[in-house]
Amino acid sequence: MLVSWNWLNEYVRLTMHHDELVDRLTMSGLNHESTTAVGGDRCLDVEVTSNRPDCLGHLGVAREIAALFRVPVTIPVPHLVESSSAVHDVLRVAVEAPDLCPRYTARVLRGVRIGPSPAWLRDRLATIGVASVNNVVDATNYVMFECGQPLHAFDLHHLRGGAITVRRPRNQETIEAIDHRTYHLFGDDCVIADGERAVAIGGVMGGAESEIHPQTRDIVIESAVFAPLAIRNTARRLNLHSPSSFRFERRVDWEQAEWASRRCCQLIVELAGGELLRGVIDVGQPPPPRAAITLRKSQITRVLGIEVPDAFTRDVLPRLGVSIDQETVDAWRATPPSWRADLEREVDLVEEIGRTYGYHQIPDNVAVPLATSGLTTRQRVVERVRRAVAAGGFDEAMTASMVPESWSRVFSPWTDHPPLTSNQPMLGVLEKASQNVGAVQFLRRSLIPSLLEARRINEYRFNEEIELFETAHIYLPQPVGLPREILALGLVSERDFFVVKGVLEAVARELTPHVQLRFVRFEAAELLDDGQAARIEAEDETIGFIGTLHAAGCKGFGLRRGATVAELNLNWFEPRAVLVPKFQSLSEYPAVTRDFNFIVGEPVMWADLESQVIGAAGPELESVRYRETFRDPQRDGPGRKRLLLTVQWRSHRGTLTGEQVDAAAKRIVQSCGEHLNAQLVG
Amino acid sequence: MSTTSALSLERFAQELEELSSAACAAFAQAPDANALEHARVEFLGAKSGRFKSFQKQLSHVPATDKPAAGQQFNSAKERIQLAFEQAQIRLASDRPAAADATAFDPTIPGQPKRVGRLHPITQTINELTDIMGRLGFTAAYGPEVEDEWHNFEALNIPAAHPARDPLDNFYLRVAGRQHAETLLLRSQTSTVQIRAMEQTPPPLRIISLGRVYRPDTADMTHFPMFHQMEGLYVDHHVTLADLKTVLRLFASNYLGSQVPVRIRPSFFPFTEPSVEADYFWNGRWVEFGGAGVVDPHVLRAVGIDPEQWSGFAFGLGVERLCMIRHGIVDIRDLFTNDIRFLRQF
Repeated sequence: MLVSWNWLNEYVRLTMHHDELVDRLTMSGLNHESTTAVGGDRCLDVEVTSNRPDCLGHLGVAREIAALFRVPVTIPVPHLVESSSAVHDVLRVAVEAPDLCPRYTARVLRGVRIGPSPAWLRDRLATIGVASVNNVVDATNYVMFECGQPLHAFDLHHLRGGAITVRRPRNQETIEAIDHRTYHLFGDDCVIADGERAVAIGGVMGGAESEIHPQTRDIVIESAVFAPLAIRNTARRLNLHSPSSFRFERRVDWEQAEWASRRCCQLIVELAGGELLRGVIDVGQPPPPRAAITLRKSQITRVLGIEVPDAFTRDVLPRLGVSIDQETVDAWRATPPSWRADLEREVDLVEEIGRTYGYHQIPDNVAVPLATSGLTTRQRVVERVRRAVAAGGFDEAMTASMVPESWSRVFSPWTDHPPLTSNQPMLGVLEKASQNVGAVQFLRRSLIPSLLEARRINEYRFNEEIELFETAHIYLPQPVGLPREILALGLVSERDFFVVKGVLEAVARELTPHVQLRFVRFEAAELLDDGQAARIEAEDETIGFIGTLHAAGCKGFGLRRGATVAELNLNWFEPRAVLVPKFQSLSEYPAVTRDFNFIVGEPVMWADLESQVIGAAGPELESVRYRETFRDPQRDGPGRKRLLLTVQWRSHRGTLTGEQVDAAAKRIVQSCGEHLNAQLVG
Repeated sequence: MSTTSALSLERFAQELEELSSAACAAFAQAPDANALEHARVEFLGAKSGRFKSFQKQLSHVPATDKPAAGQQFNSAKERIQLAFEQAQIRLASDRPAAADATAFDPTIPGQPKRVGRLHPITQTINELTDIMGRLGFTAAYGPEVEDEWHNFEALNIPAAHPARDPLDNFYLRVAGRQHAETLLLRSQTSTVQIRAMEQTPPPLRIISLGRVYRPDTADMTHFPMFHQMEGLYVDHHVTLADLKTVLRLFASNYLGSQVPVRIRPSFFPFTEPSVEADYFWNGRWVEFGGAGVVDPHVLRAVGIDPEQWSGFAFGLGVERLCMIRHGIVDIRDLFTNDIRFLRQF
């Protein structure tokens, strides 16, 4: 809201220094942004919050200043000289949509002479950046910026049938507005119509035909109250934002509408002459009377944390327009003014007292009681994961939660349900090179595509060793209710499958060393190489995926180098994480190891062999270590491979003897032979 | 060397000393493993090594001196053995025998060990969480996709409120679901406060942290996704003075010195009174975030009696704090993930 210093001075004597004034305004709710010199005047830019439409006029700001500085405020009283002809004889008004327009007032002036405004009026408007049009239009603007009530002037002779109807649009109705563009009207747009067609978009913009022309002689002054929501929707849809719609959207003062009409008509007569017809057309039901509010004195301290003297409250409330109807030992009964619809409850009055008494009086060193707090399990789990993955050489990335359709489709291992789709896209989140991939409006079901895009950006910037991870939500739609949100860990690496697998295993060891992860072959044909992809299972649940991109997958994301990707469900780990491990006693006896070299058929997997070894090695088994896989079709025949491993035993009771270990080794060979047809070499 | 005549202890000791000095020198000067092996065979060889031979001299020492001579012989042997082992270690360390001092270049880079970095937003959030943790606030989380109750209704934002405009929110469609409830990406983390108050009876001290979404076009200072930290404190006698105190402690701790804070009136649907908090930093007031006393409507919406309980809430934008802290000027850099950027923090 732009405010003229000289204009304010008409309602309240500004004897204080400028800096003191703007500081008080800032600290009591009208945040001062800047002041600029305009001609012999100063223009103050103050921020008005949406609950204070009363301050969208100079009078409202003057009332604030008067209350803050405890000085009187002068509200102009319009004096009207009316002619003997009655307004009702030349104009009829019907409001068919009272929900869109709760009050409509109209006055008529005849024989006005349209011309330039006097210097004082042009200066006032120039200070706040409003161009002067003519004396009548300037008068309506002047009153709007004076009190916050928008007004509109029609040329009476362009209102066919001498009638105004306030209604919803008819089918296919259009209007040419004063900007000479044609607008289609429908729904809850509020139409101001004459006997035949729309002449204005109520509260938003006037029509071209009925606007004030240099030849206009007879005019109708509209001062109405329009429903905030309808005005907002119309202004937004038509992209017609005006000082008028801005004020109606924030709700104008029902009672003040008629005062504004009189004030405007008085000004027009002064500026443009003419006669004001007798009476006013005033259609609408007044709102329910404002209810008195009980303000308990104890509540002021309870909310603000300080004692405010009763005398201050007694003084300031009336200055703010709040009448004190009654005072008892511990409470007041008070009624707010018509222009303060935001004051409805006790706590609203407490805020008024607090902000005028001064928030600087509230201490910032009170004794807040101590309370304990600690990291939640989730925080501890995520922190461990991040540290383990960073130690594995990955940098943490952050990518947008929505992706284009093609990325959403290419990899969705967790669900087949289509993604949640937003009503509008995220704009400006893609690099130029990616802006042809489509609108970013699909809630992602995997972090991988976003990370592949981050990888591509890095490749194109000549970066080396691009290892990225992210921990963020993915969104899996459900048949009803909210989607299932999984906190996922996503990885994209330039290294191979088993390096990335090693990182995942390290993460799992950090959290759940007691749980065995299973890697099961898996297909995600659109992105991953068939022979290089696995689903990760634990306790019979799928908790992740890992795989290497095939050539087409790399190409689809514009990658020049190969990529291995993985995703883990961190929610699964949360309840299972061992954050406080229990001590396991250490054996003081030496360990004994044996190496094994088995020839097995290709379908036998390491995990098969490992589980046979674990099953057969006996209670003193300490570890089974994979060494390598070796293929020599000439010696071992086709479809065969060698798996080399080292087994280590250690007892808590004594040094293991050669015979004990030999017996265990024999059991291993036997079990692997029987169940996997594994032959020991050497 | 005489092998028949009697040998005095002095003579024995002298010869022993000569022999061991020669052995130590030979080991120390051996230029490679081969030479060392030759020296070992010469001096310590089990069959015809010089020590083995010299051992025979012991029998020529007078009987009374034999124990002393034996002792000297053993300690000399230990000394030689040690010299041999040291020579082995020296040669095992794999550097050129000659000019070893100059060939050592300590400026060659160490074995590369890549340790990744945490995102600056993560680091900022961890810092904020730490500070609030010391003030007794525990982290709480909630879903990012919300219903209208948690994102609006319970926060005193009724259906006609401008904050619910479709252009100001990411409302979501679910394919194949007719007449489904309205879902949207949360526009503030206050939703978590509602969920926390629904689940936990007061007193309550939480911070909610996470991603929030508003359809601003990305530019230097805006991104349609950003992070918020919101604090909520509900107890029997919570006032604006408690809010101001906590904010001052928070700002002072985050910025590392005594930082004045001020509050000035503002407007939010979920607090009454509502305030903007500023902190004084580098000679000017910097906007901190919105705050206020929890609106009685909000407490009632979650079944808390506003006559018994009161609370304050505040919300901060994490990106802005992070950018101020690290001198980052374009918010989009935070989400481009150029590793040259990520590795700076």
